[in-house]
Amino acid sequence: MTRRNLFLGIMLISILFLAVGSVSAIEYKEAPMLTEKVNSGELPPVAERLPEEPNIIEPLEEIGVYGGTLRRGITGPNDHNNYVRWMYDSLVRYAQDGNSTYPQLIKSLEPNEDYTVWTFNMLKGAKWSDGSPFTSADIMFWFEDYYTYPELTPAKLPWLYNDDGSIVEVTAPDEYTVVFTYKDPITTVPMEVAAMDNRDNLVPMFLPSAYLKQFHAKYTDVNQLNEMAKKESFENWKQLFENRQAPYRNPERPVMAAWMSVNTINDPIYNLVRNPYYVGVDPEGNQLPYIDNLSLVTYQSPDALNMAAIQGEIDMQDRHIIMQNYPVLMEESEKTGKYDVRLWPTFGGVDAALSINYYYDKDPEYMKLFQNHDFRVALSISIDREEIIESAFLGLGEARQPVPRSTSIYYPGDEYAFKYTEFDQAKANEMLDAMGLDKKDANGFRLMPDGSRVMIEIAYVPQFANWGDIAQMIAEDWRGVGIEGVVVENERTNHFAKRDSNELMTEIWNEDTTGFPFTGAPKFDPRTSPGICVATGARTWLNSGGKEGYEPNDDFKRIMEIIDLAKRVGPEEQQELGKELFRIWAEGCYEIGIAGLTPMVQGVGVVNSNLGNVPASDTLGNDWPLRTPGNGRTEQFYFKQ
Amino acid sequence: MASYIAKRILVIPFLLFVFSILIFVLIQAPPGDFMTTYSAILAGSGSSLDAEQLDAMRVSYGLDQPLHIQYVRWIEKLLRGDMGLSLLYMLPNKQLIAERLGPTVALALFSFILSWLIAIPSGIYSATHKNSFGDYFFMVLNYIGVAIPNFFLALLLMWFFYVKFGWNLVGLFSPEFEAAPWSWAKFLDMLKHLWLPGIILALGGSARLTRVMRANLLDEMGKPYMVTGRAKGMSEWSLVMKYPVRLAINPLVSTIGNYIPQLFSGSLIVASVMNLQNIGPLLLQALSMQDMYLSGSILLVYCLLAILGTILSDLLLAWVDPRIRLE
Repeated sequence: MTRRNLFLGIMLISILFLAVGSVSAIEYKEAPMLTEKVNSGELPPVAERLPEEPNIIEPLEEIGVYGGTLRRGITGPNDHNNYVRWMYDSLVRYAQDGNSTYPQLIKSLEPNEDYTVWTFNMLKGAKWSDGSPFTSADIMFWFEDYYTYPELTPAKLPWLYNDDGSIVEVTAPDEYTVVFTYKDPITTVPMEVAAMDNRDNLVPMFLPSAYLKQFHAKYTDVNQLNEMAKKESFENWKQLFENRQAPYRNPERPVMAAWMSVNTINDPIYNLVRNPYYVGVDPEGNQLPYIDNLSLVTYQSPDALNMAAIQGEIDMQDRHIIMQNYPVLMEESEKTGKYDVRLWPTFGGVDAALSINYYYDKDPEYMKLFQNHDFRVALSISIDREEIIESAFLGLGEARQPVPRSTSIYYPGDEYAFKYTEFDQAKANEMLDAMGLDKKDANGFRLMPDGSRVMIEIAYVPQFANWGDIAQMIAEDWRGVGIEGVVVENERTNHFAKRDSNELMTEIWNEDTTGFPFTGAPKFDPRTSPGICVATGARTWLNSGGKEGYEPNDDFKRIMEIIDLAKRVGPEEQQELGKELFRIWAEGCYEIGIAGLTPMVQGVGVVNSNLGNVPASDTLGNDWPLRTPGNGRTEQFYFKQ
Repeated sequence: MASYIAKRILVIPFLLFVFSILIFVLIQAPPGDFMTTYSAILAGSGSSLDAEQLDAMRVSYGLDQPLHIQYVRWIEKLLRGDMGLSLLYMLPNKQLIAERLGPTVALALFSFILSWLIAIPSGIYSATHKNSFGDYFFMVLNYIGVAIPNFFLALLLMWFFYVKFGWNLVGLFSPEFEAAPWSWAKFLDMLKHLWLPGIILALGGSARLTRVMRANLLDEMGKPYMVTGRAKGMSEWSLVMKYPVRLAINPLVSTIGNYIPQLFSGSLIVASVMNLQNIGPLLLQALSMQDMYLSGSILLVYCLLAILGTILSDLLLAWVDPRIRLE
């Protein structure tokens, strides 16, 4: 089977849009609630609200019907990424399976032959939710008046820079075209653009310039703005500007998303209503979304939210559902029939990995051990993964190394995905004996050269999953090979600090970055911070110009090389580099995978039985870069009655 | 009396100043700041805010400044009547606290009154029927009230009412009233939801009060004036109500001062579990997110309430107990 790749995907879809667009004799239809407004003269007719050639969104199963209010739970204003995931409001989106990207709010994004020039072709006639035109000026406003505006200091986005450190040249030849010109080839632009939405409270790369100019010092008197900011307890106009551009904090801010805010995320129930100017239609010409309203209800604790989900008070929830509630949810779902429970396992990697600090230098003897490949392998094969999966993951998922799942274009093959995951304590004992750890004390624990026990701390944070139980089980398994595992629970901030100061021996965390090795902040890249404890010493070395820390070993060097190289080569080569990276990572046994492809991270979906076009179990790529469930295209979900 | 009140009120600013330093030092004591917590939360949900983005935000909101500078900035704003900005909500703290003060006070008052209504009669009954079945019954009930953490009781009762009656008691309002402006209907709707958290909070408080009431009353019961009263043929009921109960209530009144802030903070976890939009969960969130100006401001409001509560209980005490002198 030949796998689709990103660029082929973009081109195919662009061609598809062109083909469909030319048959634009379709009569467009709209939701009844909008027809009323058109009749009363509040809104122009649907054909005038849509772009000349709207984006055609193919429903997952069937054409839906209009109406309804969808209820979903959030945990308060710091849960703004819940909004971000649901809307997936970006110029380019990842497909449902996560293997390709497609244009969402634009017509196409195309590279030139050597990938140095990227052209955004926008939709003619597309409009913001207030009816103002969505044009190249809105991307230029972000680049010129926000990202590079001297007084504003947003964090640097690496993909906007050339190798020599200069910034990319951005121009707008006409109203509907924006061109990014680089000095060096770059092939990751569509993947980076897919992440340029309101994520993490940051500013997206397209802004309603006509509206936001009133909060920008270039267009409005700065004293007046500062005065306004002070009234709302902000220090200055910059904070006011960043606040006003966040759609979930400011209902007046026009959006391109399928729904627009009625009130704010700070309200007990955050209400949203359909965007009458949304650029997408289904193949029959019905303007999307199907669902009229969203109610994002704030629950003060995940427990209260889970309780409401169990009672069937929520129509669609995956985020914040605690995996351990899966059996209760199944039971209630069978009893009441109010909802289905679907499993969307993690996109790749593992949900619990034991990272070994390769540069642990509190004790040089331990550093020698941790740098010994046989030692790491022995630690890995002495873990009984099946037992851990049974008791900590309810029997869901599989024993595997931190590599992408088999459907990914970067999958290195079964040989590497399951490398060193067999449970073989006899072999582990042999390996440990052979490396000179053959002396034992009265309790059967192996001894270091200085006569002390071989004792390894397993640190974890009791935050995201039941890693404490897993750590205990690993420690128990290690007894069988004469190694004492000591489980250490750390408070979150303290753990991060210890990791940065190279004090952790090993830690349990998840590896959720394997699906997207060349964008974002992959944990296996030693330069990533916050990352994992594997190569903190190498990061220190790189950051200090070689003065402190330790020079990265050949594997780490090659990994960094691959990541840098892959950003500038074509898709074929990029795939090969990805596979090579994961072969090195699995073979090296630096981050020992325990169990993966479980629904631990937002993978248990509670879906109202009445809700249609929602992806079935295991068909929705579940990862943050995919904005799950946003990659399931929430605008085409609908209520059957 | 007037000079007594004036004196007490004049001390308030000084006390608040001392408390503000104490609070600020305490909430800054845990390692890290809002940005580290925020990034850890985002990391937990799979996102990837990097160190550089965090530092940019830190500089923008002044979190890179040394502790004393941050304190001075906070106090400066406080003196101008500005409680600062909540980094979590991106709203002025004053607005956030004001919005939630109403439901908080309503719940606190409701459970406060309820706990007295439970504690005084059961205390009187226990003392007058010492070692009877009823006395033991209340005693066991009180022990349960003290021993079961109230958030656990909340979870149990919520589950019970859902399974038995299909009632959903989560929240302080029904969804249709949540965003509505205050009205008579909304108030009635609130009462419909308020009773369960009110009872849960009252149970813990009343348990303690009942024991105090019973002990105080028992002290008085054996006193010679009681014997005299009985000998003169006074009915037991009016005798008990007229003299020892009045005396036994005094220590209860003096606990109001401690009790008011306790009611606010006692609802912290219960409110989180039951999803009540009052100050409790706001404080819990602010503390765990290290949104320091928000938690600092709430704690300062708590301190103010504690001070006012103490003054109030002193005044009440002076009023119910004529033996107390104000000088």
